[in-house]
Amino acid sequence: MARGDGSDDRFDVVVVGAGHAGCEAALACAGIGLHTALVTVRLEDTAKMSCNPAVGGIAKGHMVREIDALGGAMGLVTDRAGIQFKMLNRGRGPAVWSPRAQCDKARYSAEMAQLLGTTPGLARVAGVVHHVRLAGGRVCGVELADGRMLRCRAAVITPGTFLNGLIHIGPRRLAGGRIGEHAALALSECLAELGLERGRLKTGTPPRLHRDSIDWEALEPQPGDEPPMPFSHWTERLDLDQVLCHLTHTHAGTHQVIRNNLHLSPLYSGAIKGTGPRYCPSLEDKVVKFPERSSHHVFLEPEGRDVPEIYVNGVSTSLPEEVQIEFVRTMPGLERAHMLRPGYAVEYDFVLPHQLGPTLEVKTVPGLFLAGQICGTSGYEEAAAQGLMAGINAAHAVTGRPPFVLRRDQAYIGVLIDDLVTREHREPYRMFTSAAEHRLIMRADNADERLSELGHALGLLTSAQVDRVRAKVAALAAEERRLARVMVSMAAVSAASGTAVGAAAREITAVASGEEGGTAPSAEESAGLGNARRAGLGAESGPASAAASTMTALDALARPHGSVRALRAAGVPCPLPDDWAACLEVRVRYRGYIERQARTAQQMTALECLALPQSLWQGTLSGLSREAREKLVRWKPSSVGQASRIAGVTPADVAILLVHARRAAAAP
Amino acid sequence: MPPLDDTIAAIATATGAGGLAVVRVSGSAALATADAVFEGGERLESAPSHTVHHGWVVARECAEAADGAAVAPARRLDEVVAAVFRAPRSYTREDVVELSCHGGELSSRRVLAALLAAGARLASPGEFTLRAFLNGRIDLAQAEAVADVVRAETERGHELALSQLAGELSRTVNALSDRLADALAEVEARVDFAEDVGGIEVPEHVLATIAGLEASLAGLLQGAAYARAVREGVRVPLVGRPNVGKSSLFNALLGEARAIVTDVPGTTRDRVSEAIELAGIRVTVSDTAGMRETGDAVESIGVARAREALADCAVALWVVDGAAPLDDNDERIARELAGKRVLVALNKRDLGEATTLAQVGTLLDGAQRRVVAVSATQGLGLEALRQALAALLGAGEADGSLSGAVGNRRHAEALERARAALDRAARAAGEGLPGEIVALELREALAALGEVTGRSVGEDLLERIFSKFCVGK
Repeated sequence: MARGDGSDDRFDVVVVGAGHAGCEAALACAGIGLHTALVTVRLEDTAKMSCNPAVGGIAKGHMVREIDALGGAMGLVTDRAGIQFKMLNRGRGPAVWSPRAQCDKARYSAEMAQLLGTTPGLARVAGVVHHVRLAGGRVCGVELADGRMLRCRAAVITPGTFLNGLIHIGPRRLAGGRIGEHAALALSECLAELGLERGRLKTGTPPRLHRDSIDWEALEPQPGDEPPMPFSHWTERLDLDQVLCHLTHTHAGTHQVIRNNLHLSPLYSGAIKGTGPRYCPSLEDKVVKFPERSSHHVFLEPEGRDVPEIYVNGVSTSLPEEVQIEFVRTMPGLERAHMLRPGYAVEYDFVLPHQLGPTLEVKTVPGLFLAGQICGTSGYEEAAAQGLMAGINAAHAVTGRPPFVLRRDQAYIGVLIDDLVTREHREPYRMFTSAAEHRLIMRADNADERLSELGHALGLLTSAQVDRVRAKVAALAAEERRLARVMVSMAAVSAASGTAVGAAAREITAVASGEEGGTAPSAEESAGLGNARRAGLGAESGPASAAASTMTALDALARPHGSVRALRAAGVPCPLPDDWAACLEVRVRYRGYIERQARTAQQMTALECLALPQSLWQGTLSGLSREAREKLVRWKPSSVGQASRIAGVTPADVAILLVHARRAAAAP
Repeated sequence: MPPLDDTIAAIATATGAGGLAVVRVSGSAALATADAVFEGGERLESAPSHTVHHGWVVARECAEAADGAAVAPARRLDEVVAAVFRAPRSYTREDVVELSCHGGELSSRRVLAALLAAGARLASPGEFTLRAFLNGRIDLAQAEAVADVVRAETERGHELALSQLAGELSRTVNALSDRLADALAEVEARVDFAEDVGGIEVPEHVLATIAGLEASLAGLLQGAAYARAVREGVRVPLVGRPNVGKSSLFNALLGEARAIVTDVPGTTRDRVSEAIELAGIRVTVSDTAGMRETGDAVESIGVARAREALADCAVALWVVDGAAPLDDNDERIARELAGKRVLVALNKRDLGEATTLAQVGTLLDGAQRRVVAVSATQGLGLEALRQALAALLGAGEADGSLSGAVGNRRHAEALERARAALDRAARAAGEGLPGEIVALELREALAALGEVTGRSVGEDLLERIFSKFCVGK
């Protein structure tokens, strides 16, 4: 968007905070073509990894792939800063394979800063934001501590743990969002003045140890995958020398130290009021709440290639420094460990997210968007996902384009935001695969197929990028059709794990009708055979009849242990590159299930499309239970689907809302 | 769907003669509406909940004057007792007034007309129950049970519906859902916390839970055929070639001479039906025309009707002349009975044994069948015939209480889907498929169980259920 006067304090969108949410938001706004400012206290503190030195993990990795497929930065920056790459959950089904990368923290910040610095239309501003200013009820600017005013038409607020942050180390308390840094007090008060209901959450971080004080020989090494698989769809290949992580563990002696000093933990003395995450308990919590466990895994993760800090994953704590040193030194390999920084707990304010719409815009303040921990989440990936979506929607609000909302069956990002604005939260929200009811169709391997066209339409992906995805989709479809016409001997496929049997395959020459039109359905049918059985819906066994000794290559691939590798060994060459071949395996082997889930998703979408007019919530809503009425008026859901997911809203209440929705639809 | 927030009224009792009739009003203006037609000791609006008041329902011909004094005397329509139930402790969870007036159609209709004139809307079929459901007083299974309690035609049917209304089935299914949700959580935990929980995808104790749930569902479903027969009743046509004694047997089963009996083959032209009660099931027995090739126009219509009756029956009662050998007509009929549950009455045993039980059995090879020798005219073997019929209707499998039984086709179907999904989950786990696949099946099973109690229901489903309800309940 053009600016009127060319001064440097007038923007389309101002993003407050340059963490993982803020960076994605600013890049998205600028990428869409808006004049954007990114305000942060110190410019060098960009995209800092305040806690663990890793991006991704189960379900989180899915979100990073989605961010990347939409044109976000996190995947690319991770590929540049990663020092160890691993696919988690390999032992399970492909739907829940999740990539994770250990990163060089300083490099991550630097790479992100470089990306920001080279993005046209994006200005970086050092400053502390005190106020969001409104004109006519809409956001018109943000005011800095020094009185400067940055005018804008939309603002994205991403303060992380800085929003009224309070750090606890034993009985010591320090105001701040990270140790040694400031706390955003005025901004929190400003949000309260805007009428936003706030809550308090807590998170924690473990101590950091000096690399040279650890007895590495005594520890079990944890290598990365070889070859490393890139996070980003747009990274061709990773060339790096991967670092090792190491594994140690707590034991009865460690736990005894914790128990002896529990009275010094602010978690147990009552000093901490905020609610911490149950999925990421402090060591104090682990010991107290799981007394039957005599040992817990502890991972030692380097915070960079050339830095001394070692992150001690698994022992987040807020005990006093001297107790931290004591319990750390009980662990194997850490007997002489030198602690560089103590672990701590941090409490911070967040805005109860039921006050946000599905675009992350505050319902009562047009132009005000929130993303990241301020919405009650934890995790870099959750923050980045929201930042991207808030940025896109802030840009759309300014340009008058329609809201950009992802459905629950489109992306984990859709699940994340819907859960945030729909459910009640008592602890920081983290993404899990089980939160996604359609997870078989939302895999890390098909994020590009799900989202790249959208990213392109948004203006965040180039035509060249989306063309690559189209080429992949076409190649997979073509290969599937081809494999349906190739016959292969069962014996050869079965034996193919070891000895290769050549020339077991032959192409079917007589194809019933024309080339493409005729073969596509036959591919569907033959693939259906193998998968009907797998989905437990059809006949017991597909290819056991007359032509007992041969089957199509596609059917062979659909068998429980079928793989492209086994096909190749059986003499069926497959021209796809390995990562695409892996995609093909997944869709062929799990087709029955994937199709079932796609059907369920379609049914659900119908409810999502039934909009509820916001005027409804001013009405009497008679016929509804009191609990449901209270919840609905509080959440003001935008669709019948969203309403049905609010706790306390029963199917009976949904039935009434269906009536209202239909009446509203009937009204002119 | 009608509006959900206005005040509705309807006659809640069956039409026809009776000592009392009840007219029910429900909604936020129920008390005011009732007051507008009620003349008693005090205003119902100031009456406490769960109290009854004697008075008269009156027709006020003119509006009240500004000072509140009635300008015209009210015309008394009927003497009534008004029962006041205040929200939420009422049938619908709204304010409810029930006016008990004199029986007979006229009284209740005049009272209802007065209420409608006072501003109430005539309730749609099932609307009171719809509101009870929508207001969260009863769940879906209970709502459906209301219709069954009203409709029940046998004592056992009534018992079944009452037990469902009391929430027996819901409790059973909810308990299964809880166990299933636990099992699902176990599987999900291993998917999302692979590093923390670890171990195999679906541990033994979860497999055991799945197997246990499958068995519980199978148990529930086993009694379902009988429970459904109890709930819905069954039709049993008597079929057979002409002059084998169908009408005689029909009369013998009814205990009265309902059908005309002669020695002339083809006497019965039309279908004659009567209901009897057997093992708690309302059994509609119908006498049909003897099946044979015939040139007689009227008789051939009767034969066609006999075929129709055969097409949609639960059990066919095939009457064979035991004193004569089997003929071509019998063989044709046997072919038409293929795939059905068949009770064979080998009739006229008092006259001879030209056909044996075994011969009939051979003709019906493969069918689920019982063969009983009887004499309709002598009244021999009738009790054995009744018992065999009850057994074919599944009565033997559900001797005990019907408490919590599944008598509803929709419930049985949902439970069957849950059972099938559990079966697939167990097989997926057995094949070593990943946890998220097993979880997919468990989620499907959970959703199916939810359909019984309404924990997860679609729009379409609700409408179908509530369109079935009769007015006033």
